[in-house]
Amino acid sequence: MDFTFMGETFLTLLQGLPLTLELATTSILAGGILAVIIALIAVIGGPIGRGFTQGYVFVFRGSPLLVQMFLIYYGLGQFRPLLQELGIWIIFREPYWCAVISLTLNTAAYTSEIFRGGLQAVSIQQVEAARACGMSGPLLFRRIVLPIAIRQALPAYGNEIILMLKATALASVITIMEITGLAGKLIADSFRGFEVFIVAGAIYLAITFVVTRLLMIIEFWLSPHLRMRPPSLT
Amino acid sequence: MFDRGTSLAADNKNRTAAVSVKNLRKCFRPLEVLKGVSLEACEGEVISILGSSGSGKIDVLRCINMLEVPDSGEICIGGEMFGLTKGRCKTQPADRRQVDRLREHIGMVFQNFNLWSHMTILENVIEAPVHVQKRNRAECIEEAEALLERVGIADKRNYYPAHLSGGQQQRAAIARALAQRPKVMLFDEPTSALDPELVGEVLKVMRSLAEEGRTMLVVTHEMAFARDGSSRVVFLHKGVVEEEGAPDEIFQNPKSDRFKQFLSNG
Repeated sequence: MDFTFMGETFLTLLQGLPLTLELATTSILAGGILAVIIALIAVIGGPIGRGFTQGYVFVFRGSPLLVQMFLIYYGLGQFRPLLQELGIWIIFREPYWCAVISLTLNTAAYTSEIFRGGLQAVSIQQVEAARACGMSGPLLFRRIVLPIAIRQALPAYGNEIILMLKATALASVITIMEITGLAGKLIADSFRGFEVFIVAGAIYLAITFVVTRLLMIIEFWLSPHLRMRPPSLT
Repeated sequence: MFDRGTSLAADNKNRTAAVSVKNLRKCFRPLEVLKGVSLEACEGEVISILGSSGSGKIDVLRCINMLEVPDSGEICIGGEMFGLTKGRCKTQPADRRQVDRLREHIGMVFQNFNLWSHMTILENVIEAPVHVQKRNRAECIEEAEALLERVGIADKRNYYPAHLSGGQQQRAAIARALAQRPKVMLFDEPTSALDPELVGEVLKVMRSLAEEGRTMLVVTHEMAFARDGSSRVVFLHKGVVEEEGAPDEIFQNPKSDRFKQFLSNG
């Protein structure tokens, strides 16, 4: 192992870090919003809404993310004239946006299921207590259902966030130079696969370490009601 | 019997009915749980509703605040009637906003407390006044602290429901209902989920509420409370009011066989 080379590699790969983080945050945020909408349609949309969301989840959860990414990036290129006519070719021309779109659609499918579970696990008793004092509609959702659902969904959602962080590595196959993309390029130049991938893996490990800590802090902060020791009196 | 009936009627005329229920019917197919129940609670009256399981006593209570929508019948809270419309397959409230508005004035205490698990006791108590009734937050907190003091758990105001015993949780739930400044309090078997040694503390709070002249409808199995805590007892059997009267009278001279049987079993 060549440690000076690894040091150089580290500095090179670090240049891909902003892009990795950008891909991850954009798709996690956009996917999260989409997932809330899908989960709400699934819960309150009746049979039609449920059918639609089940179909969406089936398609995007049932096929590989890589295939979805190829479909959007390479596949849609076939329809270039049509997309140009619609004025959205600007988006599908860019590998970055193709990656964001496929990551977003994919995570929305998984996340909507997580949110749906969280919403449906809110006990009817607590909802009834809210109804009984005159709450309904958006107020009931905002004050009672959503806070409880978020707390129930957070551990599973944290998992999804970490999976998404790592899934951004797939964007490298559609020419995006994030951490894995840069690593691939470096290997092609230097033929030192082991060192380069060790460093790349270590960077991902460091990111997920930070993210898991953050998630733990959020979870801790949201769940004083689950900790055994009562808070001190004030 | 007749004398008392007329005197009660005369008495009722002078007072407004806080809750009145007329000819309530509810069917959970294939079971008809309420077959025309009528009931009236004047202001300051404490009515204990007794009955064996399946008698429909809880359904009456849940219909009063529309947690269960009756198939037919009239329900008035403080003189205002819940509007109902007959849908194709089931009856619906005519105006959801009216339901919310009337519910603001009905305090409900549940068998399983149903406190909101993600809020502290104090937050539970001020939730409805602040967010539903839009009252001043600082005033609500002051009032909530007085209420928690009153039910004897002021020191627990920053605890979460899961950190409290059942009896404490139920007293918190009573404080939460009182914070709505309700015209009527509904109790749905408030002591049934409690260990025997915790029942007393909850009943004590309920008795003190009864003494200060609150209108209360209490579904209960606590015969002692029905006997000396309430002003009237209603006995339900298979969806009809089988017997009704002042506790002294009804417990001493039960008229119907059903009620006699119920008392001997209880």
